[in-house]
Amino acid sequence: MNSDVKASLITHMIAGYPDFEKSLEVARGLIAGGAYALEIQIPFSDPNADGPLIENACRVALSRGFKVADTWRLLEVIRAESSIPIFLMSYASTAISCGLANFLRRAVEFATTGIIIPNLVPGADEGLFRTAAELGCPAVPVLVPWISDQRLDEILSMPIDWIYVALRSGITGAYTQIEAPQRSFLAKIRTRQRRPRIMAGFGIQKTAQVANLLEFVEAAVVGSAIVKTISGARHPGEAVRKLVGELQNIKLPKTPG
Amino acid sequence: MNEGGFFGEYGGRYVAEVLRGPLENLENEFRLAQTDEAFFSELENLRRNFIGRPTPLLPALNASSSIGGADIYIKLEGLANTGAHKINNAIGQALLAKRMGKTRVIAESGAGQHGVACAAACARLKIDCVVYMGEEDIRRQRPNVYWMKLYGAEVKSVSSGTRTLKDSVNAALRDWASSWENTHYLLGSALGPSPFPDMVRSFQSVIGRETKAQLGDVTPDALVACVGGGSNAIGFFEPYLEGVRPILLGAEAGGRGAGIGNNASRISGDGRISIVHGYKSRFLVDLDGQVLPTHSISAGLDYPGIGPQLAYLAESGRIRFVSVRDDEALEALKFFAIEEGLIFAMESAHAGAAAITLARSLGPGKTVVVNMSGRGDKDIFISAAALDGPAWKTFLREQSITEEDS
Repeated sequence: MNSDVKASLITHMIAGYPDFEKSLEVARGLIAGGAYALEIQIPFSDPNADGPLIENACRVALSRGFKVADTWRLLEVIRAESSIPIFLMSYASTAISCGLANFLRRAVEFATTGIIIPNLVPGADEGLFRTAAELGCPAVPVLVPWISDQRLDEILSMPIDWIYVALRSGITGAYTQIEAPQRSFLAKIRTRQRRPRIMAGFGIQKTAQVANLLEFVEAAVVGSAIVKTISGARHPGEAVRKLVGELQNIKLPKTPG
Repeated sequence: MNEGGFFGEYGGRYVAEVLRGPLENLENEFRLAQTDEAFFSELENLRRNFIGRPTPLLPALNASSSIGGADIYIKLEGLANTGAHKINNAIGQALLAKRMGKTRVIAESGAGQHGVACAAACARLKIDCVVYMGEEDIRRQRPNVYWMKLYGAEVKSVSSGTRTLKDSVNAALRDWASSWENTHYLLGSALGPSPFPDMVRSFQSVIGRETKAQLGDVTPDALVACVGGGSNAIGFFEPYLEGVRPILLGAEAGGRGAGIGNNASRISGDGRISIVHGYKSRFLVDLDGQVLPTHSISAGLDYPGIGPQLAYLAESGRIRFVSVRDDEALEALKFFAIEEGLIFAMESAHAGAAAITLARSLGPGKTVVVNMSGRGDKDIFISAAALDGPAWKTFLREQSITEEDS
């Protein structure tokens, strides 16, 4: 295994967790750690495509009064400091609450690269895929490896730049082995002529997993491992900076001070 | 009426990709089962010999004369095995699960009535059963938890979110996302992603069909049912949905009255269009789309969403909705106990209260049929505490001392 691989890590974080200021520190830490992109999740009361860890983090953020509008405030601050690609993740309920098109327009204002809404899938998407592409921040469909070829064609025919492959059945959080079925699914997509870029995640916690995965995809998504690190850290920004560095197997310079 | 799982703009199948396949498969299997005579004869057999159908339709003569208004009939759905209409759907879906070759059933439960029904149906049909139940609901409905375990089900406590019904739905959906190959999710209300609203209505429509047959020559002027998710209401109303008569009235939980967190009135209160738990409907959500807390004295009505078909029929005007407060439900509970010798489930008492008001306003010569969707035995800890507080507390204290001594 080549240990000097320059990993492309998409790091997932929850806006407003553990609070607004600290989530900003987390974003800064992830950027400083060398993340390729941020996936910023808007907290939702009932995030049932996520595991208990992320649900709890959402609850913490909401109990401290986090509003959807605070997401835009967070993005504004991050954008003033960095041009890192940002994927915005939301559930349908929060995304449509003030009109899906309005939501997408706000996202575009902050140069969002893509929108991830796991419970709006192609064919049952409230016009998400078309509108998001028109506005210039295409939606990112979340796929699972055992979908039919017909369904895969259907999804890949959408106006998209990226797809998100959820590597295992179930929800976020549990450890995933990258095994033959997942590998062959990823290989299948790679043979397509005009294929979107692939981010893959669900259960990525180890440097070896990241390195292994990056042989097949453009980016590995790390989610629950980051939330876990934040929940136990006194200085979440610094803690996630270290984690991202470790996951990419990159030696980081000592932090000043 | 149902195009691609939609009722007007409500309904649909808003789930993550992982559950899309399992739901398509379920829809196909359900369609096949509906034309399978062997399936229906086994279902019919279970309805008669296990559930105890048909359930009676009681002409409530005392109640009618006491009110001095319309004639009231009460469909005694609470006399079904396990004490509520929930068993109609539980046995139907459990049978379907078996037909699909599933060896495990998971279910959500709020009041515990659906959990008990699933546990009983799975015991009868020899399928493993796991019931997700919010910690708060387990506390409120302890007796039902014991029954579920006695039937051999595993009850999993849900400690996330508000620890109530909506969180047990989330927990069940999470389980199903990784277990669908051998597991059927036996959803208990006429909501959730398609095909659940159609499937649950189909299995619950036995209530309405029986009622219509039992009424014989009597043409009802109004039907009244309580509406949490809406499974008893949609099943009871089903044969009458076409056309404009009779009046169909749904009673929502008015709780402590108006205000956020005080009730569960989605149609008669402040419900907004949203997408939660896999379907689009009217929900009690805030301006950000966050699901709001709800309150009702009855755990079965304490849910922020309403079945999509009911939301549609509310909008079309076919079904009217009223809010019934906790105290009004308790009054109705007392009324039917004294007048008719019936103890309504707290949920059904909301329908009872709405029926009393409607019978009064329609006046003599009219007919109102109310569905007593469940019986109230399960509520003794709540109803006794509310109606007979101090004496009940003393009893509980004495009882706990007796238990410790023995």
